[in-house]
Amino acid sequence: MLDFDVISPKTSHELFEVISNSQDKNYRFGAGYTDLINDLNNNLQQNLTVINLAKLNDNNFKAININENGVQIGALVTATQLLENNIIQNNYPVLWEATNSVASGQIRASATIGGNVCQASPSGDMSCALVALKAVCEIIDSKGNIREENISDFFRGVKKTSLKKNEILRSIFVPINISKNIKSGYIKVGTRNSMEIAIASIAYHFQKDEQNNVIDAGYAIGAVAPTIVFTKDACDFILGKNINSLNETDVKQFANLIKKYAKPISDIRASAWYREEVLINLSETILK
Amino acid sequence: MYNMVEINFIINGSKMTKRIKPSTLLVDFIRDDLKLKGTKVGCMEGECGACTIIIDGTAINSCMYLAININGKNVTTIEGLGTVEKPLDLVQEKMIAHGAIQCGFCTSGVVMTTKAFSEKCKNEDKIPTRDEVKKSLEGHLCRCTGYIKIIDAAEAVYKKQ
Ligand SMILES: Cc1cc2nc3c(=O)[nH]c(=O)nc-3n(C[C@H](O)[C@H](O)[C@H](O)COP(=O)(O)OP(=O)(O)OC[C@H]3O[C@@H](n4cnc5c(N)ncnc54)[C@H](O)[C@@H]3O)c2cc1C
Repeated sequence: MLDFDVISPKTSHELFEVISNSQDKNYRFGAGYTDLINDLNNNLQQNLTVINLAKLNDNNFKAININENGVQIGALVTATQLLENNIIQNNYPVLWEATNSVASGQIRASATIGGNVCQASPSGDMSCALVALKAVCEIIDSKGNIREENISDFFRGVKKTSLKKNEILRSIFVPINISKNIKSGYIKVGTRNSMEIAIASIAYHFQKDEQNNVIDAGYAIGAVAPTIVFTKDACDFILGKNINSLNETDVKQFANLIKKYAKPISDIRASAWYREEVLINLSETILK
Repeated sequence: MYNMVEINFIINGSKMTKRIKPSTLLVDFIRDDLKLKGTKVGCMEGECGACTIIIDGTAINSCMYLAININGKNVTTIEGLGTVEKPLDLVQEKMIAHGAIQCGFCTSGVVMTTKAFSEKCKNEDKIPTRDEVKKSLEGHLCRCTGYIKIIDAAEAVYKKQ
């Protein structure tokens, strides 16, 4: 049986106070609870306090704000809210498609983007898209100090992030597109169509000039290494190339550069070999 | 034992106040405290959808939700739709008409999801495509029907309203 105490701060001020006062306690944050409840059910803990973010009324955490540099997405924005946002759908198809592939409607209504990122699962779908988009995590501590960190650096291992005990993720910043000419999407391969945790996924966001030469490349792979990985060498390779007329050698070379970053494991859903094959085939397909 | 927490909410149209243990899951609260047994406990992992209920118009899994977070909210369970004594809800009528029920275990969840989605479609004045209907039901497992009849029933709801 789950047995823990819950504290529900309503303002940032109350939140910081709760965090400060809890430094010697065993606590977890609860946002949409779709990961946390399963985690706690599988690993019952004593003397646990849950800091409940569901009652927090602060737009820095809750809203999607657009400015001239990009989009600031509050950590408590739910998957459903993201899907209903036209700016996300039109400018960042990779994030929209990844979000639409998360679980089911009932889960998406609760699941937050911050929870997806802080869970640091190698198969987190929204997280994978955010890595391709070169998103930046905005982290705040209980004294109100803010630090920013590239999302790729924020992930430190399976279920591990750079967050310190007195810190919380407040929002995620996605930089504005420098071109309207984009090729952006998310492909997730699982063992069935619905409610599937990825066995391999790719997130791509290429920005092109009018001649279709790549001027900015974002490519991330999920579920094939302990963290989601930004495949920098492959991105550098494709920069300046015309993405609509790549030759066979370029496509192969691109896929090979991606393969370098994959360190897949075998588990009950797929073997390491299969994960890698899927990854290579997907990477080639999107360029053909 | 942690301090009990007071919550105020609306359940199936009636205002209510309760004191609960802070870690109580909503599905347990609904079944054990409110004695509304129409909401089913299936997998308790968010996979099967048997525990689906509606909060402020949105279908959620009550096994992945803390009961204290319904404070100030409007909760509807299957008992809040129709019963054999009251007229049935359109969703229930169509489920029966299409033979979309066998053992019935998944049914209340399916009905709640379809109810929430149909209200949303009505507000947006749209009739979803069959693929959209399927997508709306992806969070439900049914071991009896093979889904076709459930999808047919849901489609009939959207066409009628
Ligand atoms: C049946 C099922 C299917 C699923 N399918 C998918 C899927 O297809 N793809 C996918 O990506 N995920 C999937 N998930 C996982 C989950 O739904 C997502 O990861 C979701 O985005 C988590 O968000 P949450 O708000 O529910 O997080 P919570 O469960 O509330 O929190 C998750 C973790 O992050 C911490 N946390 C939350 N918010 C913050 C914050 N602001 N700052 C610091 N720490 C924080 C919590 O302490 C906890 O450790 C699935 C889950 C279930 C139950």
